[in-house]
Amino acid sequence: MVKKETEFLKKLETKFKVKGRVQKERRIWLSISKDKLIEICKWMKENGYVHLSAISVTDWLKDGKYELTYHLWSYDDKILVTIKTKISRNDPKIDSVTQIWGNNAQIHERELHELFGVNFKGNNDLLPLFLEDWKGPAPFRKDFDWRDFVRKEFYDKKNEREMVYFD
Amino acid sequence: MIKEIEPAPKGSEYDFYFGPAHPGSGNFGVKLKLEGEVVVSARADPGYLHRGFEKLMEYRTPIQNAVLSDRLCILEPLNWNLIHAEAVDELMGIDIPERAKYLRVIMAELSRIQSHIIWYGVFSKGVGFDTGFKMAFGYRDYIMDLFELITGGRVYPAGYICPGGVRRDFPKDAEAKILKVLDKLKDLIKLEELENPAMNARAKGVGVLKLKDAIRLGATGPVIRGSGKKTDVRKDEPYEIYDRLDFEVPVRKEGDAYARYWIGIDEIKQSIKIVKQALKELPDGEVIESSLKKPKLKAKIPEGEVYVRNEISRGEAGIYMVSNGDVSPYRTKVRGPDFLHMIPVLEYLLKGVQIADVPAVYWSLNICPADMDR
Repeated sequence: MVKKETEFLKKLETKFKVKGRVQKERRIWLSISKDKLIEICKWMKENGYVHLSAISVTDWLKDGKYELTYHLWSYDDKILVTIKTKISRNDPKIDSVTQIWGNNAQIHERELHELFGVNFKGNNDLLPLFLEDWKGPAPFRKDFDWRDFVRKEFYDKKNEREMVYFD
Repeated sequence: MIKEIEPAPKGSEYDFYFGPAHPGSGNFGVKLKLEGEVVVSARADPGYLHRGFEKLMEYRTPIQNAVLSDRLCILEPLNWNLIHAEAVDELMGIDIPERAKYLRVIMAELSRIQSHIIWYGVFSKGVGFDTGFKMAFGYRDYIMDLFELITGGRVYPAGYICPGGVRRDFPKDAEAKILKVLDKLKDLIKLEELENPAMNARAKGVGVLKLKDAIRLGATGPVIRGSGKKTDVRKDEPYEIYDRLDFEVPVRKEGDAYARYWIGIDEIKQSIKIVKQALKELPDGEVIESSLKKPKLKAKIPEGEVYVRNEISRGEAGIYMVSNGDVSPYRTKVRGPDFLHMIPVLEYLLKGVQIADVPAVYWSLNICPADMDR
Protein backbone atom coordinates (compact mmCIF):
# COMPACT_ATOMS: atom_id res chain seq x y z
CA MET A 1 0.00 0.00 0.00
CA VAL A 2 2.73 2.46 0.83
CA LYS A 3 5.22 1.40 -1.86
CA LYS A 4 5.16 4.73 -3.70
CA GLU A 5 5.70 6.63 -0.45
CA THR A 6 8.57 4.42 0.75
CA GLU A 7 10.36 4.78 -2.58
CA PHE A 8 10.05 8.54 -2.56
CA LEU A 9 11.25 8.75 1.02
CA LYS A 10 14.28 6.59 0.22
CA LYS A 11 15.12 8.92 -2.64
CA LEU A 12 14.94 11.92 -0.31
CA GLU A 13 16.96 10.22 2.40
CA THR A 14 19.83 9.25 0.14
CA LYS A 15 19.92 12.57 -1.68
CA PHE A 16 19.86 14.89 1.32
CA LYS A 17 20.97 12.57 4.16
CA VAL A 18 17.89 13.30 6.25
CA LYS A 19 15.54 11.14 8.28
CA GLY A 20 11.87 10.66 7.70
CA ARG A 21 9.00 8.29 8.16
CA VAL A 22 6.00 7.11 6.21
CA GLN A 23 3.00 7.56 8.46
CA LYS A 24 0.43 6.00 6.15
CA GLU A 25 -0.75 6.20 2.59
CA ARG A 26 -0.02 9.65 1.11
CA ARG A 27 1.75 10.98 4.21
CA ILE A 28 5.50 11.44 4.61
CA TRP A 29 7.08 13.28 7.53
CA LEU A 30 10.61 14.58 7.19
CA SER A 31 12.80 16.09 9.90
CA ILE A 32 15.66 18.26 8.71
CA SER A 33 18.06 20.87 10.05
CA LYS A 34 17.23 24.44 9.20
CA ASP A 35 20.28 24.97 6.95
CA LYS A 36 18.97 22.43 4.47
CA LEU A 37 15.48 23.91 4.24
CA ILE A 38 15.89 26.04 1.12
CA GLU A 39 17.87 23.39 -0.73
CA ILE A 40 15.28 20.69 -0.07
CA CYS A 41 12.29 22.93 -0.74
CA LYS A 42 13.77 23.99 -4.08
CA TRP A 43 14.25 20.37 -5.06
CA MET A 44 10.75 19.49 -3.91
CA LYS A 45 9.17 22.20 -6.01
CA GLU A 46 11.14 21.17 -9.09
CA ASN A 47 9.87 17.63 -8.54
CA GLY A 48 6.20 18.43 -8.60
CA TYR A 49 5.46 19.61 -5.06
CA VAL A 50 4.08 22.90 -6.34
CA HIS A 51 1.30 23.32 -3.82
CA LEU A 52 2.30 24.66 -0.43
CA SER A 53 -0.71 23.64 1.61
CA ALA A 54 0.24 25.33 4.86
CA ILE A 55 3.06 26.46 7.09
CA SER A 56 2.71 26.08 10.81
CA VAL A 57 4.67 26.66 14.00
CA THR A 58 4.53 24.54 17.14
CA ASP A 59 5.89 26.12 20.27
CA TRP A 60 7.76 23.52 22.35
CA LEU A 61 8.14 25.58 25.49
CA LYS A 62 10.02 22.97 27.54
CA ASP A 63 12.69 22.38 24.89
CA GLY A 64 12.96 26.07 24.11
CA LYS A 65 12.33 25.37 20.44
CA TYR A 66 9.95 26.40 17.71
CA GLU A 67 9.09 23.66 15.27
CA LEU A 68 8.20 24.84 11.80
CA THR A 69 6.23 22.53 9.55
CA TYR A 70 5.80 22.92 5.80
CA HIS A 71 3.02 20.85 4.26
CA LEU A 72 3.65 20.24 0.57
CA TRP A 73 1.31 18.53 -1.83
CA SER A 74 2.08 17.12 -5.25
CA TYR A 75 -0.78 17.03 -7.75
CA ASP A 76 1.02 14.28 -9.72
CA ASP A 77 2.35 11.98 -6.98
CA LYS A 78 -0.64 12.63 -4.70
CA ILE A 79 1.59 12.58 -1.63
CA LEU A 80 1.67 15.12 1.18
CA VAL A 81 5.19 15.66 2.46
CA THR A 82 5.60 17.52 5.71
CA ILE A 83 9.01 19.05 6.30
CA LYS A 84 9.78 19.79 9.92
CA THR A 85 12.63 21.85 11.24
CA LYS A 86 13.47 23.23 14.66
CA ILE A 87 14.77 26.68 15.48
CA SER A 88 15.65 28.40 18.71
CA ARG A 89 12.73 29.93 20.54
CA ASN A 90 14.61 32.92 21.92
CA ASP A 91 15.98 34.01 18.59
CA PRO A 92 13.51 32.63 16.04
CA LYS A 93 15.12 33.22 12.66
CA ILE A 94 14.77 31.20 9.50
CA ASP A 95 15.21 31.68 5.76
CA SER A 96 12.02 32.58 3.98
CA VAL A 97 10.60 30.24 1.36
CA THR A 98 9.05 33.14 -0.58
CA GLN A 99 11.81 32.74 -3.17
CA ILE A 100 10.30 29.33 -3.94
CA TRP A 101 6.54 29.63 -3.47
CA GLY A 102 6.13 33.41 -3.84
CA ASN A 103 2.98 35.09 -2.60
CA ASN A 104 1.53 31.87 -1.26
CA ALA A 105 4.40 31.42 1.20
CA GLN A 106 4.58 35.11 1.86
CA ILE A 107 1.11 35.29 3.38
CA HIS A 108 1.63 32.21 5.55
CA GLU A 109 4.87 33.62 6.89
CA ARG A 110 3.30 36.99 7.52
CA GLU A 111 0.70 35.30 9.70
CA LEU A 112 3.26 33.31 11.67
CA HIS A 113 5.45 36.35 12.17
CA GLU A 114 2.53 38.09 13.79
CA LEU A 115 1.27 35.21 15.92
CA PHE A 116 4.58 33.65 16.96
CA GLY A 117 7.17 36.34 16.29
CA VAL A 118 9.23 34.22 13.90
CA ASN A 119 11.52 36.30 11.68
CA PHE A 120 11.62 35.11 8.11
CA LYS A 121 14.78 36.35 6.45
CA GLY A 122 14.05 37.41 2.89
CA ASN A 123 10.34 38.06 3.31
CA ASN A 124 9.91 41.75 2.60
CA ASP A 125 6.33 42.13 3.82
CA LEU A 126 5.82 41.09 7.42
CA LEU A 127 3.34 43.76 8.44
CA PRO A 128 0.64 42.85 10.98
CA LEU A 129 -2.19 40.88 9.43
CA PHE A 130 -5.00 40.23 11.90
CA LEU A 131 -4.27 42.24 15.00
CA GLU A 132 -4.75 45.95 14.79
CA ASP A 133 -2.75 48.16 17.15
CA TRP A 134 -1.44 45.13 19.03
CA LYS A 135 1.38 46.01 21.37
CA GLY A 136 1.59 42.89 23.51
CA PRO A 137 3.83 39.87 22.93
CA ALA A 138 3.22 37.39 20.12
CA PRO A 139 -0.15 35.97 21.22
CA PHE A 140 0.15 32.32 20.15
CA ARG A 141 3.29 31.63 22.17
CA LYS A 142 2.71 29.08 24.90
CA ASP A 143 3.92 31.39 27.67
CA PHE A 144 1.39 34.05 26.72
CA ASP A 145 -1.66 33.70 28.96
CA TRP A 146 -4.43 35.64 27.32
CA ARG A 147 -6.67 35.45 30.39
CA ASP A 148 -4.00 37.13 32.46
CA PHE A 149 -3.31 39.69 29.78
CA VAL A 150 -6.96 40.66 29.43
CA ARG A 151 -7.33 41.01 33.22
CA LYS A 152 -4.33 43.27 33.44
CA GLU A 153 -5.10 45.39 30.43
CA PHE A 154 -8.84 45.73 30.39
CA TYR A 155 -10.41 44.89 33.76
CA ASP A 156 -10.54 46.75 37.02
CA LYS A 157 -10.52 44.72 40.23
CA LYS A 158 -12.33 47.42 42.13
CA ASN A 159 -15.16 47.63 39.64
CA GLU A 160 -18.07 45.64 40.99
CA ARG A 161 -19.05 44.20 37.63
CA GLU A 162 -15.57 43.10 36.68
CA MET A 163 -14.54 41.61 40.02
CA VAL A 164 -15.68 38.14 38.97
CA TYR A 165 -12.86 37.85 36.47
CA PHE A 166 -10.32 37.94 39.29
CA ASP A 167 -11.57 34.97 41.30
CA MET B 1 -15.70 49.04 -23.23
CA ILE B 2 -13.08 50.35 -20.86
CA LYS B 3 -10.91 51.64 -23.69
CA GLU B 4 -13.57 54.03 -24.92
CA ILE B 5 -13.52 55.98 -21.68
CA GLU B 6 -10.77 58.52 -21.49
CA PRO B 7 -8.25 57.39 -18.87
CA ALA B 8 -7.99 59.38 -15.69
CA PRO B 9 -5.10 61.87 -15.60
CA LYS B 10 -1.93 60.62 -14.00
CA GLY B 11 -1.49 61.32 -10.33
CA SER B 12 -5.22 61.32 -9.69
CA GLU B 13 -5.06 58.18 -7.58
CA TYR B 14 -7.27 57.98 -4.55
CA ASP B 15 -7.92 55.46 -1.81
CA PHE B 16 -11.16 53.59 -1.45
CA TYR B 17 -11.99 51.30 1.41
CA PHE B 18 -14.20 48.31 0.54
CA GLY B 19 -15.47 46.84 3.80
CA PRO B 20 -15.12 45.87 6.63
CA ALA B 21 -18.85 45.32 7.19
CA HIS B 22 -19.98 46.13 3.69
CA PRO B 23 -23.01 44.13 2.55
CA GLY B 24 -21.02 43.20 -0.51
CA SER B 25 -17.97 41.96 1.34
CA GLY B 26 -18.91 40.19 4.51
CA ASN B 27 -16.70 40.97 7.47
CA PHE B 28 -13.66 41.77 5.47
CA GLY B 29 -12.01 44.85 4.05
CA VAL B 30 -10.00 45.58 0.94
CA LYS B 31 -8.00 48.77 0.59
CA LEU B 32 -8.28 49.78 -3.04
CA LYS B 33 -6.21 52.37 -4.85
CA LEU B 34 -8.22 53.74 -7.73
CA GLU B 35 -7.41 55.86 -10.75
CA GLY B 36 -10.69 57.05 -12.13
CA GLU B 37 -12.79 53.91 -12.00
CA VAL B 38 -9.97 51.42 -12.43
CA VAL B 39 -8.34 49.61 -9.54
CA VAL B 40 -4.59 50.22 -9.57
CA SER B 41 -3.74 48.10 -6.57
CA ALA B 42 -5.57 46.24 -3.84
CA ARG B 43 -4.49 45.25 -0.38
CA ALA B 44 -6.54 42.88 1.72
CA ASP B 45 -7.18 44.02 5.27
CA PRO B 46 -8.25 40.96 7.28
CA GLY B 47 -8.66 40.63 11.02
CA TYR B 48 -12.20 41.84 11.56
CA LEU B 49 -13.31 38.32 12.47
CA HIS B 50 -10.13 37.10 14.13
CA ARG B 51 -11.10 35.12 17.21
CA GLY B 52 -7.96 33.06 17.73
CA PHE B 53 -9.52 29.60 17.35
CA GLU B 54 -6.17 27.88 17.17
CA LYS B 55 -5.27 29.22 20.59
CA LEU B 56 -8.74 28.59 22.04
CA MET B 57 -8.51 24.94 21.03
CA GLU B 58 -5.35 24.51 23.10
CA TYR B 59 -7.38 25.20 26.22
CA ARG B 60 -10.22 22.78 25.49
CA THR B 61 -10.84 19.06 25.13
CA PRO B 62 -11.84 17.51 21.78
CA ILE B 63 -15.46 17.28 22.89
CA GLN B 64 -15.53 21.02 23.51
CA ASN B 65 -13.52 21.70 20.38
CA ALA B 66 -16.07 19.84 18.26
CA VAL B 67 -18.59 22.52 19.18
CA LEU B 68 -16.02 25.24 18.63
CA SER B 69 -15.15 23.92 15.18
CA ASP B 70 -18.65 24.82 13.92
CA ARG B 71 -17.78 28.43 14.25
CA LEU B 72 -14.80 28.20 11.94
CA CYS B 73 -17.08 28.96 9.05
CA ILE B 74 -20.61 30.24 9.24
CA LEU B 75 -21.56 28.87 5.85
CA GLU B 76 -20.44 25.28 6.27
CA PRO B 77 -20.08 24.34 9.93
CA LEU B 78 -20.66 20.64 9.30
CA ASN B 79 -17.67 20.33 7.02
CA TRP B 80 -15.42 21.87 9.65
CA ASN B 81 -16.96 19.57 12.23
CA LEU B 82 -15.97 16.68 10.01
CA ILE B 83 -12.36 17.76 9.59
CA HIS B 84 -11.89 18.28 13.30
CA ALA B 85 -13.49 14.94 14.10
CA GLU B 86 -11.28 13.16 11.56
CA ALA B 87 -8.15 14.68 13.05
CA VAL B 88 -9.08 13.53 16.56
CA ASP B 89 -10.16 10.09 15.30
CA GLU B 90 -6.83 9.59 13.64
CA LEU B 91 -4.85 10.70 16.69
CA MET B 92 -6.88 8.48 19.00
CA GLY B 93 -6.87 5.58 16.54
CA ILE B 94 -10.64 5.24 16.50
CA ASP B 95 -12.41 3.20 13.83
CA ILE B 96 -15.78 4.74 13.38
CA PRO B 97 -18.86 2.64 12.59
CA GLU B 98 -19.90 2.24 8.98
CA ARG B 99 -23.26 3.95 9.40
CA ALA B 100 -21.58 6.97 10.96
CA LYS B 101 -19.36 7.33 7.90
CA TYR B 102 -22.40 7.49 5.66
CA LEU B 103 -24.19 9.95 7.91
CA ARG B 104 -21.09 12.13 8.00
CA VAL B 105 -20.88 12.22 4.21
CA ILE B 106 -24.60 12.92 3.78
CA MET B 107 -24.43 15.83 6.23
CA ALA B 108 -21.22 17.20 4.73
CA GLU B 109 -22.70 17.09 1.24
CA LEU B 110 -25.94 18.76 2.33
CA SER B 111 -23.79 21.44 3.92
CA ARG B 112 -21.85 21.79 0.67
CA ILE B 113 -25.09 22.18 -1.29
CA GLN B 114 -26.39 24.96 0.95
CA SER B 115 -23.03 26.69 0.86
CA HIS B 116 -23.07 26.63 -2.94
CA ILE B 117 -26.63 27.95 -2.92
CA ILE B 118 -25.53 30.89 -0.79
CA TRP B 119 -22.65 31.39 -3.16
CA TYR B 120 -25.10 31.60 -6.07
CA GLY B 121 -27.16 34.10 -4.08
CA VAL B 122 -24.40 36.46 -3.06
CA PHE B 123 -22.78 36.29 -6.46
CA SER B 124 -26.11 37.26 -8.03
CA LYS B 125 -26.39 40.12 -5.59
CA GLY B 126 -22.84 41.19 -6.40
CA VAL B 127 -23.59 41.49 -10.11
CA GLY B 128 -26.93 43.18 -9.57
CA PHE B 129 -29.33 40.27 -10.03
CA ASP B 130 -31.35 40.56 -6.85
CA THR B 131 -33.89 37.90 -7.77
CA GLY B 132 -31.17 35.29 -7.65
CA PHE B 133 -30.22 36.37 -4.15
CA LYS B 134 -33.75 36.03 -2.81
CA MET B 135 -34.34 32.76 -4.60
CA ALA B 136 -31.18 31.26 -3.24
CA PHE B 137 -31.89 32.17 0.36
CA GLY B 138 -35.40 30.82 0.01
CA TYR B 139 -34.18 27.44 -1.18
CA ARG B 140 -31.39 27.35 1.38
CA ASP B 141 -34.02 27.42 4.08
CA TYR B 142 -35.24 23.95 3.11
CA ILE B 143 -31.82 22.59 3.96
CA MET B 144 -31.72 24.63 7.15
CA ASP B 145 -34.95 22.88 8.13
CA LEU B 146 -33.28 19.53 7.56
CA PHE B 147 -30.36 20.56 9.75
CA GLU B 148 -32.76 21.60 12.47
CA LEU B 149 -34.51 18.26 12.26
CA ILE B 150 -31.32 16.22 12.35
CA THR B 151 -28.85 18.20 14.45
CA GLY B 152 -31.08 20.53 16.42
CA GLY B 153 -29.45 23.69 15.12
CA ARG B 154 -30.28 25.54 11.95
CA VAL B 155 -26.92 27.12 11.25
CA TYR B 156 -24.58 25.69 13.88
CA PRO B 157 -25.02 21.96 14.54
CA ALA B 158 -23.21 22.18 17.89
CA GLY B 159 -20.68 19.51 17.10
CA TYR B 160 -23.06 17.05 15.44
CA ILE B 161 -20.16 15.33 13.72
CA CYS B 162 -17.99 14.57 16.73
CA PRO B 163 -14.95 12.39 17.40
CA GLY B 164 -16.08 8.77 17.10
CA GLY B 165 -18.99 9.23 14.71
CA VAL B 166 -22.03 11.46 14.87
CA ARG B 167 -23.95 12.59 17.93
CA ARG B 168 -27.28 10.98 17.13
CA ASP B 169 -28.99 8.93 14.48
CA PHE B 170 -31.35 10.31 11.86
CA PRO B 171 -34.94 10.73 13.06
CA LYS B 172 -37.44 8.37 11.49
CA ASP B 173 -38.64 10.54 8.63
CA ALA B 174 -35.31 12.22 7.86
CA GLU B 175 -34.49 10.16 4.78
CA ALA B 176 -37.80 10.85 3.08
CA LYS B 177 -37.51 14.54 3.91
CA ILE B 178 -33.99 14.77 2.51
CA LEU B 179 -35.12 13.22 -0.77
CA LYS B 180 -38.03 15.63 -0.93
CA VAL B 181 -35.74 18.62 -0.46
CA LEU B 182 -33.33 17.32 -3.10
CA ASP B 183 -36.24 17.13 -5.52
CA LYS B 184 -37.18 20.70 -4.73
CA LEU B 185 -33.65 21.84 -5.47
CA LYS B 186 -34.12 20.71 -9.07
CA ASP B 187 -36.32 23.76 -9.58
CA LEU B 188 -33.57 26.03 -8.30
CA ILE B 189 -31.00 24.46 -10.61
CA LYS B 190 -33.38 24.88 -13.53
CA LEU B 191 -33.67 28.56 -12.69
CA GLU B 192 -29.94 28.93 -12.27
CA GLU B 193 -29.31 27.34 -15.63
CA LEU B 194 -31.54 29.82 -17.44
CA GLU B 195 -28.54 32.14 -17.85
CA ASN B 196 -29.64 35.65 -17.11
CA PRO B 197 -28.07 37.72 -19.93
CA ALA B 198 -27.36 40.71 -17.68
CA MET B 199 -25.57 38.46 -15.22
CA ASN B 200 -23.56 36.76 -17.95
CA ALA B 201 -22.43 40.10 -19.32
CA ARG B 202 -21.17 41.07 -15.88
CA ALA B 203 -19.35 37.78 -15.27
CA LYS B 204 -17.85 36.73 -18.61
CA GLY B 205 -14.19 37.61 -19.02
CA VAL B 206 -14.01 39.25 -15.60
CA GLY B 207 -11.30 38.32 -13.11
CA VAL B 208 -9.44 35.84 -15.31
CA LEU B 209 -7.09 33.60 -13.35
CA LYS B 210 -4.70 31.55 -15.45
CA LEU B 211 -3.80 28.07 -14.27
CA LYS B 212 -0.14 29.01 -13.80
CA ASP B 213 -1.11 31.85 -11.48
CA ALA B 214 -3.70 29.74 -9.69
CA ILE B 215 -1.04 27.21 -8.74
CA ARG B 216 1.48 29.91 -7.87
CA LEU B 217 -0.97 31.68 -5.57
CA GLY B 218 -2.09 28.49 -3.85
CA ALA B 219 -5.68 28.45 -5.12
CA THR B 220 -7.68 25.29 -4.50
CA GLY B 221 -11.21 23.98 -4.95
CA PRO B 222 -13.61 25.65 -7.38
CA VAL B 223 -11.12 28.43 -8.08
CA ILE B 224 -8.40 26.16 -9.45
CA ARG B 225 -10.97 23.93 -11.15
CA GLY B 226 -12.38 27.00 -12.88
CA SER B 227 -8.89 27.56 -14.29
CA GLY B 228 -8.65 24.07 -15.73
CA LYS B 229 -7.01 21.85 -13.12
CA LYS B 230 -8.89 18.69 -12.31
CA THR B 231 -8.21 18.24 -8.64
CA ASP B 232 -10.46 17.44 -5.72
CA VAL B 233 -9.39 16.15 -2.32
CA ARG B 234 -12.38 13.78 -2.34
CA LYS B 235 -10.86 12.08 -5.40
CA ASP B 236 -7.14 12.58 -4.76
CA GLU B 237 -7.23 11.43 -1.18
CA PRO B 238 -10.60 9.80 -0.51
CA TYR B 239 -11.74 10.11 3.10
CA GLU B 240 -14.77 8.52 4.76
CA ILE B 241 -16.63 6.70 1.95
CA TYR B 242 -15.86 8.90 -1.04
CA ASP B 243 -13.89 6.14 -2.77
CA ARG B 244 -17.07 4.07 -3.03
CA LEU B 245 -19.20 6.84 -4.49
CA ASP B 246 -19.62 7.68 -8.13
CA PHE B 247 -19.36 11.38 -8.93
CA GLU B 248 -17.68 13.74 -11.37
CA VAL B 249 -15.37 16.67 -10.74
CA PRO B 250 -16.56 19.61 -12.85
CA VAL B 251 -13.74 21.50 -14.57
CA ARG B 252 -13.73 24.59 -16.80
CA LYS B 253 -10.91 26.17 -18.71
CA GLU B 254 -11.80 29.86 -18.97
CA GLY B 255 -10.72 30.88 -15.46
CA ASP B 256 -13.11 33.84 -15.27
CA ALA B 257 -15.93 34.63 -12.86
CA TYR B 258 -18.43 32.98 -15.20
CA ALA B 259 -16.52 29.69 -15.19
CA ARG B 260 -16.30 29.64 -11.39
CA TYR B 261 -20.00 30.42 -11.11
CA TRP B 262 -20.82 27.44 -13.32
CA ILE B 263 -18.57 25.15 -11.33
CA GLY B 264 -20.69 26.02 -8.31
CA ILE B 265 -23.89 24.98 -10.08
CA ASP B 266 -22.37 21.76 -11.43
CA GLU B 267 -21.14 20.85 -7.98
CA ILE B 268 -24.62 21.16 -6.52
CA LYS B 269 -25.76 18.54 -9.04
CA GLN B 270 -22.87 16.23 -8.12
CA SER B 271 -23.57 16.64 -4.41
CA ILE B 272 -27.22 15.74 -4.93
CA LYS B 273 -26.03 12.61 -6.73
CA ILE B 274 -23.72 11.75 -3.81
CA VAL B 275 -26.42 12.20 -1.16
CA LYS B 276 -28.83 10.01 -3.12
CA GLN B 277 -26.25 7.25 -3.48
CA ALA B 278 -25.29 7.40 0.17
CA LEU B 279 -28.94 7.27 1.25
CA LYS B 280 -29.51 4.24 -0.96
CA GLU B 281 -26.56 2.32 0.50
CA LEU B 282 -27.02 3.54 4.08
CA PRO B 283 -26.28 0.54 6.32
CA ASP B 284 -27.79 -0.12 9.74
CA GLY B 285 -25.86 -0.10 12.97
CA GLU B 286 -24.29 2.14 15.55
CA VAL B 287 -23.66 5.79 14.82
CA ILE B 288 -20.91 6.40 17.35
CA GLU B 289 -18.00 4.34 18.58
CA SER B 290 -19.05 2.65 21.81
CA SER B 291 -16.24 4.05 24.00
CA LEU B 292 -17.18 7.59 23.01
CA LYS B 293 -20.91 7.28 23.56
CA LYS B 294 -20.45 8.79 26.95
CA PRO B 295 -17.10 10.50 26.55
CA LYS B 296 -14.88 10.87 29.55
CA LEU B 297 -14.06 14.46 30.30
CA LYS B 298 -10.44 13.76 31.14
CA ALA B 299 -9.74 11.32 28.29
CA LYS B 300 -6.20 11.81 27.05
CA ILE B 301 -5.26 12.18 23.40
CA PRO B 302 -2.32 9.90 22.52
CA GLU B 303 0.92 11.56 21.51
CA GLY B 304 1.31 12.22 17.81
CA GLU B 305 0.63 14.53 14.94
CA VAL B 306 -1.69 14.42 11.96
CA TYR B 307 -2.52 16.56 8.98
CA VAL B 308 -6.05 15.98 7.74
CA ARG B 309 -7.27 17.42 4.46
CA ASN B 310 -10.85 17.66 3.24
CA GLU B 311 -12.60 19.25 0.32
CA ILE B 312 -15.10 21.83 1.50
CA SER B 313 -17.22 23.90 -0.85
CA ARG B 314 -14.60 26.61 -1.19
CA GLY B 315 -11.53 24.46 -1.56
CA GLU B 316 -8.98 22.50 0.36
CA ALA B 317 -9.33 22.69 4.11
CA GLY B 318 -7.01 21.10 6.60
CA ILE B 319 -6.23 20.72 10.25
CA TYR B 320 -2.75 20.03 11.56
CA MET B 321 -3.07 18.70 15.08
CA VAL B 322 -0.24 17.95 17.48
CA SER B 323 -0.77 16.17 20.78
CA ASN B 324 1.71 15.64 23.58
CA GLY B 325 -0.48 13.18 25.43
CA ASP B 326 -2.59 15.70 27.30
CA VAL B 327 -6.38 16.11 27.47
CA SER B 328 -6.37 18.92 24.93
CA PRO B 329 -4.40 19.20 21.69
CA TYR B 330 -1.01 20.85 22.08
CA ARG B 331 -1.36 22.75 18.85
CA THR B 332 -4.03 23.01 16.20
CA LYS B 333 -3.37 24.72 12.93
CA VAL B 334 -6.37 25.44 10.78
CA ARG B 335 -5.79 25.74 7.07
CA GLY B 336 -8.75 27.43 5.44
CA PRO B 337 -9.02 27.74 1.68
CA ASP B 338 -10.04 31.37 1.94
CA PHE B 339 -6.82 32.40 3.59
CA LEU B 340 -5.21 32.16 0.17
CA HIS B 341 -8.24 33.05 -1.94
CA MET B 342 -8.93 36.24 -0.05
CA ILE B 343 -5.43 37.59 0.24
CA PRO B 344 -3.02 36.69 -2.58
CA VAL B 345 -5.56 35.58 -5.19
CA LEU B 346 -7.96 38.47 -4.62
CA GLU B 347 -5.19 41.07 -4.53
CA TYR B 348 -3.88 39.70 -7.80
CA LEU B 349 -7.27 39.53 -9.55
CA LEU B 350 -8.43 42.99 -8.54
CA LYS B 351 -5.55 44.74 -10.29
CA GLY B 352 -6.81 46.56 -13.37
CA VAL B 353 -10.46 45.76 -12.73
CA GLN B 354 -13.24 48.36 -12.96
CA ILE B 355 -14.69 49.36 -9.59
CA ALA B 356 -18.13 48.07 -10.64
CA ASP B 357 -16.62 44.62 -11.26
CA VAL B 358 -15.04 44.34 -7.81
CA PRO B 359 -18.06 42.51 -6.29
CA ALA B 360 -18.24 40.16 -9.28
CA VAL B 361 -14.59 39.16 -8.88
CA TYR B 362 -14.84 39.07 -5.11
CA TRP B 363 -17.86 36.79 -4.96
CA SER B 364 -16.81 34.59 -7.83
CA LEU B 365 -14.08 33.29 -5.50
CA ASN B 366 -16.77 31.99 -3.12
CA ILE B 367 -15.39 33.76 -0.12
CA CYS B 368 -16.12 33.42 3.58
CA PRO B 369 -14.04 35.63 5.87
CA ALA B 370 -14.64 33.44 8.91
CA ASP B 371 -12.25 30.61 8.09
CA MET B 372 -9.60 33.02 6.85
CA ASP B 373 -9.47 35.08 10.04
CA ARG B 374 -10.13 32.12 12.33
